[in-house]
Amino acid sequence: MNWLRELARRLRMLMHRRQFDADLEEEMRLHLELRQQEHLESGMTADSARVAARRRFGNVTALKEKSHIAWGWEWFEHLALDVRHSLRLLRKSPGFTLVAVLTLALGIGANAAIFSVVNGILLRPLPYHAPNRLTVVWEKNSDGTPDNVGYATYLDWKAQNHTFEQLALYASWQPVLQAGEPEQLNGLRVTSNYFRTLGIQPELGRDFLPEEDNPTALHVVILSHSLWARKFNSDPNIVGKSIAMNAASFIVAGVLPASYESLMNQDPRGGSVEIWRVLGYDVSQPWACRTCHHLIAIGRLRDGVDFAEAKVEMDTISAELMRAYPNEYSAAGVVLTPLVEQLLGHASTPLYILLGAVSFVLLVACANLANLLLARSTKREREVAVRRVLGASRKRIACQLLAENCALALLGAAVGLIPAYWTPRVLAALGTGDLPRLDAVRLDGRVLIFTASAALLTGIATGLAPVLRLSNIDLRESLKEGTRGSAGGAGRRLRGLLVVSEVALSLTLLVGAGLLLRSLSRLLTVSPGFDATHVLTLRTSVLGQRYSDNTILRQFFADAVERLRALPGVESAAAASQIPLGGNIDRYGFHAEGKVNANPELDESAERYCITPGFLAALRIRLLRGRDIVASDTADTPGVILINETAARRIWPGEDPLGKRVKLGGLDHPWLTVIGVVGDVHHIALDAAPDMQVYIPHAQWPFPDSDMAFVLRTVGPPTALASAARRVIHSLDATQPFSRVMPLDAYVVLSVQGRRFALVLIGVFATIALLLSVVGIYGVTAYGVAQRTREIGIRRALGAQPGAVLGLLLRQGLHLILAGTVLGVGASVALTRFLASMLFEVTPTDPLTFALVVVVLAGVAILACWIPARRAMRVDPMVALHYE
Amino acid sequence: MHQDEIPPGTLYLLILKTLARSGEMHGYEIANSIQRISDDVLQVEEGSLYPALQRMLIKGWVTAKWGTTAGNRRARYYQLTAAGREQLAVEMSQFERVIGAITRVIEAV
Repeated sequence: MNWLRELARRLRMLMHRRQFDADLEEEMRLHLELRQQEHLESGMTADSARVAARRRFGNVTALKEKSHIAWGWEWFEHLALDVRHSLRLLRKSPGFTLVAVLTLALGIGANAAIFSVVNGILLRPLPYHAPNRLTVVWEKNSDGTPDNVGYATYLDWKAQNHTFEQLALYASWQPVLQAGEPEQLNGLRVTSNYFRTLGIQPELGRDFLPEEDNPTALHVVILSHSLWARKFNSDPNIVGKSIAMNAASFIVAGVLPASYESLMNQDPRGGSVEIWRVLGYDVSQPWACRTCHHLIAIGRLRDGVDFAEAKVEMDTISAELMRAYPNEYSAAGVVLTPLVEQLLGHASTPLYILLGAVSFVLLVACANLANLLLARSTKREREVAVRRVLGASRKRIACQLLAENCALALLGAAVGLIPAYWTPRVLAALGTGDLPRLDAVRLDGRVLIFTASAALLTGIATGLAPVLRLSNIDLRESLKEGTRGSAGGAGRRLRGLLVVSEVALSLTLLVGAGLLLRSLSRLLTVSPGFDATHVLTLRTSVLGQRYSDNTILRQFFADAVERLRALPGVESAAAASQIPLGGNIDRYGFHAEGKVNANPELDESAERYCITPGFLAALRIRLLRGRDIVASDTADTPGVILINETAARRIWPGEDPLGKRVKLGGLDHPWLTVIGVVGDVHHIALDAAPDMQVYIPHAQWPFPDSDMAFVLRTVGPPTALASAARRVIHSLDATQPFSRVMPLDAYVVLSVQGRRFALVLIGVFATIALLLSVVGIYGVTAYGVAQRTREIGIRRALGAQPGAVLGLLLRQGLHLILAGTVLGVGASVALTRFLASMLFEVTPTDPLTFALVVVVLAGVAILACWIPARRAMRVDPMVALHYE
Repeated sequence: MHQDEIPPGTLYLLILKTLARSGEMHGYEIANSIQRISDDVLQVEEGSLYPALQRMLIKGWVTAKWGTTAGNRRARYYQLTAAGREQLAVEMSQFERVIGAITRVIEAV
């Protein structure tokens, strides 16, 4: 604490330093006068009294300075002086300042922008209590991949484990809120301990109670702060009120704090979860079975337990369960994924790659600026020499020069921060795929500190070379009138080195951008297996008691499709439980007759589409063999199923699948006969190989989906039909909510957005780097040529051919470009493997990309050399000889 | 009369002790006091009192406030703080240790 009080006293002195100086001066004067008085009284003359007093006192100025230094603020005063001096100098050369500040603003601003994204998404802690103790607990498939958990399994895990403080479940839930215009919300069904597991408390009302977590209890919900504000006008008395959803009533138990952002959203279009209800399962329910893998478990580790210990215990529990229920698990063991990794893991690779790429831009900007400063330092030799001769120490000169550069860099950072402020909006407009927490990206304290540090580092790094040069200059040489700047060999070598590194850095960025571009163009040529153009999609889900009757439910969708098909401008229409690339996947066990494993859980599984007739036609999915599903396939006729090529190949290799029989989702289900084989569809992503897929008639499936998407193949632009389609469906049932009213090709665009985002940014960075390098190469060549003007004149006057002189001038630049290219290719080969996970059908060392990039870069660079050299050739030899 | 420079490092001790003995003093008085009590043997380069006093102010050993002298002049009076008193004890024991050691060395036969 003593040092703190001492610091406070020092600060007080700094703030009142004028007062302190005056005080010191006064008390010293008093001392001298009193002493003088004493001498006078002892009989000295006035003059000798004053001299004697002075002698006894010592050197007043030095002592004053010594006292001043005692306060410990000397460095600060020097700094303030240096900064003031620097700003004055920068104002005196506005051209240089403008170029330097803009270069730095580009480099530092881009870094601040990307860092703000990395900070907002990855570095900020998750909005949960002690988030690093949270983990997702998965069941394990026989191939080691993670799988969702069934409710019965969860109950056993929960009862038997000792390593988790809490173990909770959640599942996706899209209720339709009937307040005003019906709206489908993003929601979750969760066990009553879900928020306790995450460590979140409602801001208003209460958490879920354990006794509410069963099928017969009252339905209770918790609202997000945003939903509460948006739909209920932030009603302070909302708790205990009843709200209408899915034609039922729910009681509001609580409202979460605004600071809580849910990251468990599974909607590919983004948006946050806004409502939670209790799961309310009971083991007797058919969907609570062990093989009903549709729930996600989150656990909070007990204090002192690590992930490995928890894994060991859960593996043991899982192995025992497998022994007890051998036909209900495909493998023993669990997979633990720390929640941070689960939620942010997929974003971290592309973001760190972007951060790396943008730091290259800053390095190129630094190299350019260093070049600029070196050129300027030649002109400043005299100024520095004069100051040295007048007594400034080498250290003071170096500090002053560094302060100048830092002031420049901070100025650049300040300018760069202006565009960086709009990063989130630019990214939102660009579309970022599934980057979470983008709305939390902003210029906070951490970003500002990062930016300031980057700026200071930049200032010091770029200033180092000129500082070293100028603090070691030969005073006598520099002070001579009329000497040209002694641009020695060391300076030239350094400038060459800077150009080489610029070329290498730009080349690496260009290669990265090139590889991503080739990947995206490859990806976009992948046929998705359907025709996405001219198709409108809209989701709806039927509500209410009335639709618990399967016949009425099926009839509603059949009627709706019929009326949609009759709309003018509609070629064909259908409804389906899933849309390819729509982010919603439903997998069912595929049990082929005669090929069922002893443990049916080990059977293959397939993505299931529950469709109305006409779905294949509406999406133009190819029917390869057999027949399509038709209206006459009803609940009263034998069950039928369509399978895709992959399923046919995998299950019946070399056999004819038509007429074969399959059970879907369990051996207790009815047999379905394969009536046709259709082409593969990319359901999960264009870059993922299609898996087994099956299509079953909505009119036959015993549990017909109530949440379906309509697909309309249109003649004109699909969105033009959106309101007509809504009207048609509302004419059947006016309470229908609509969601995801969008053209099918928008889903395709969404599915590649993450790649496009990375490509666009790295492309922009590569372009900036290329431009900066070109400016750098141009600058160095032009400078070199200018210095050799007299030599050129002499050579020309002596009869040298213009071509030979041009070659001479170009040679140096070409050497630098060649060295930079070689270095850049080496660096690219070393670095592009980090891009591997973002590439598609392109190897990280793709020769074509490398070759194209080298040609483009070398071409542009040579042009940048050639222009100044060419201009020098046009100068009249006589003028050149009189130069200077 | 011969006058000696004060031994290095003892200026703080002298100032602290002087202030401890007489309460409030301004710089001139401190200089005079040291000289008088040492029977004019110790003579400080008087000006060097002031940087020392500044450092002691920062350390919190003394406080200063402006007052008026007998001759009705404005002067800055220094006063010992509790921390200054502690420091005096520290400096004293250090000084005695050093002097003791030196004495032993020169008296050893």
